[in-house]
Amino acid sequence: MSTDSNTMFLKIEFGGGLELLFSNQRSHRITIPSTVPADNNTSVTTKDAASPATRPADVTYLLHHLRDHLLKEREELFMENGTVRPGILVLINDTDWELEGEGEYLLKDGDEIVLISTLHGG
Amino acid sequence: MSCENPSVDKDALMARRPKFDKTKQCVKCKERTGNVVIRHAVYCKSCFFPLISTRFRKSLEPSVNPTPDGPRRKALKASGSLLVGLSGGLGSTVMLDLVAKTYFGAPSVADLGEEAPPSKPKGGKEHPRNMTGKDSEIWRGVPAVCYVEVCGAFPGAEDRTERVRQVVESYATTSPPFAFDFIPLRLEDAFDLEWWKGVGELLFTPPPSSTPILALQAYLSSLPTQTAIHSATQTLVRLLLLYTAASRRASHVLLGTSLTSLSVNLISGIAQGAGFSVAEEAMEEWRGEGKSGELTPPIRIVRPLRDVGMKECAIWAWWCGLRIVGRERYLGGTQGIGSLTRNFITGLERDYPATVSTIARTCAKLTPKEGSDGVCLLCQRPAQHGVQEWKSRTSIRSYNHASFSSSGHERPPHLANATDRPQHRTEPSPSSHLTPHLCYACHTTLTSRSSRGNVKQTSDSKVVPLPLWVGASLSLVPTSEDSSGEVWATRRMGDGEMKAAIGDLLLNDS
Ligand SMILES: [Zn+2]
Ligand SMILES: [Zn+2]
Repeated sequence: MSTDSNTMFLKIEFGGGLELLFSNQRSHRITIPSTVPADNNTSVTTKDAASPATRPADVTYLLHHLRDHLLKEREELFMENGTVRPGILVLINDTDWELEGEGEYLLKDGDEIVLISTLHGG
Repeated sequence: MSCENPSVDKDALMARRPKFDKTKQCVKCKERTGNVVIRHAVYCKSCFFPLISTRFRKSLEPSVNPTPDGPRRKALKASGSLLVGLSGGLGSTVMLDLVAKTYFGAPSVADLGEEAPPSKPKGGKEHPRNMTGKDSEIWRGVPAVCYVEVCGAFPGAEDRTERVRQVVESYATTSPPFAFDFIPLRLEDAFDLEWWKGVGELLFTPPPSSTPILALQAYLSSLPTQTAIHSATQTLVRLLLLYTAASRRASHVLLGTSLTSLSVNLISGIAQGAGFSVAEEAMEEWRGEGKSGELTPPIRIVRPLRDVGMKECAIWAWWCGLRIVGRERYLGGTQGIGSLTRNFITGLERDYPATVSTIARTCAKLTPKEGSDGVCLLCQRPAQHGVQEWKSRTSIRSYNHASFSSSGHERPPHLANATDRPQHRTEPSPSSHLTPHLCYACHTTLTSRSSRGNVKQTSDSKVVPLPLWVGASLSLVPTSEDSSGEVWATRRMGDGEMKAAIGDLLLNDS
């Protein structure tokens, strides 16, 4: 899908009300770099000479990217201590991210990532 | 140990277990690769649906028949109709879906698994009880879905009634279609004579010139803390559902309390003095007074998702494509007991998923040492004898008390300007009171002081309206003592034992 081997294409879905923090849009298609700064800084590109430490893009980086570029409000309802807030589930290609290494899962071009809030209660 | 948020330093206290045991293979079919981890166990998508619906049925079906089955399991046959409480939140939306699919012929969950083609008919042989008609063989009549809109209590909150209606009506468009009766209520109905006339008996003179919404707001704003407003709101919702259920001759009211929410309710309930009725939070039976004054047949309040966590609910909703309307979380602010407990339990569930079910199971075993000797007039749960004396022994009720004056203790700063509520007003019989007819939790809800100061004191009126079911037990008549007509005294029907002022209890503190 991606024509540029330096980037990858991802499908992002929000559910359970989490979309309210993301312009109330449930489905997003985004492109992120394949190699990212080790400190999860999403405002620089790895081509910058100033950030030599890099690693392959993983879910933790994606969460920072979503927070920095797609999140519209109330960051504290999305992330906490460098990961998603308790009560937010992540599915990677329809599978619980707990089976896939959580934040350490290395993203592949075309992956579908679903983030669902359980905080709307019952 | 300090009182800091325990989730912060938890790793220092308890080693984190791996999220799943051994392999990524499904523990059920032992074939497919797993898709979800539930309390350390791995399940594939095909095994997930029967797992959840089995837990749902195991929690519900043993309480369907009026008397427990003997050694041989009889067919399920309820003594009345079914009422499903729907809040618009995740748990109750999933519960409604399970009810529709399990008992009323909505397309089966098995059809949603990857293995089963969508056209496959429901497993009729395996589930002979399942019906595809207008009502099931289990409950009488058409089942109702009841929604209580709470926006009247929270200025600026969205009215979600129509969106919830769409959720309920979506089951009328499935194949085969099934139409629930949708009953939209509002929190202020608890103060609305028109609603009460439909479900209860009018034995008293209603307060003049107050709309239900103003009465609701006056009631809530009289409460001492945000936490109290939260629990009072929950109590109103619960009794609106129960009286509605009684008016439909329901034998069962289903609530979508998940394992996660149950644990939150249990812990925050205990924190707010509701320890006596902890067992009721898991399973309870209620009898109201019917329109002609006699007790209605018992209604069972069942929480069929009490063994299903929020995570499983969210995954069910996602895989089934359910739309979650969302609900107002009236938790009493971010520092309210409800919010703090929910944050704690949610964090606990992520990091130590088995502990949350341990909380629920442990609390379900709790039974009070002494039996109840009555029913609380406000929440209509079993009440414990002697709440008033007990409270007076264990808590500081007045800084004007002689022993404090003589000991030279000073008032804490936040009470420095407060005047104590007079212990007695000029009632006909000061010793009789609403207090003896309240449970400890409701008494606390109505009277506790907050260490952070009380919430807004908006109302000048001295006496506050109460939900109509309280007034139906005590007859309300205006007194002539106050020419403004704002003071209400209460007089019990019959022997006058409860000649008392509700107003004394509900007076603003300062
Ligand atoms: Zn399986
Ligand atoms: Zn009570």
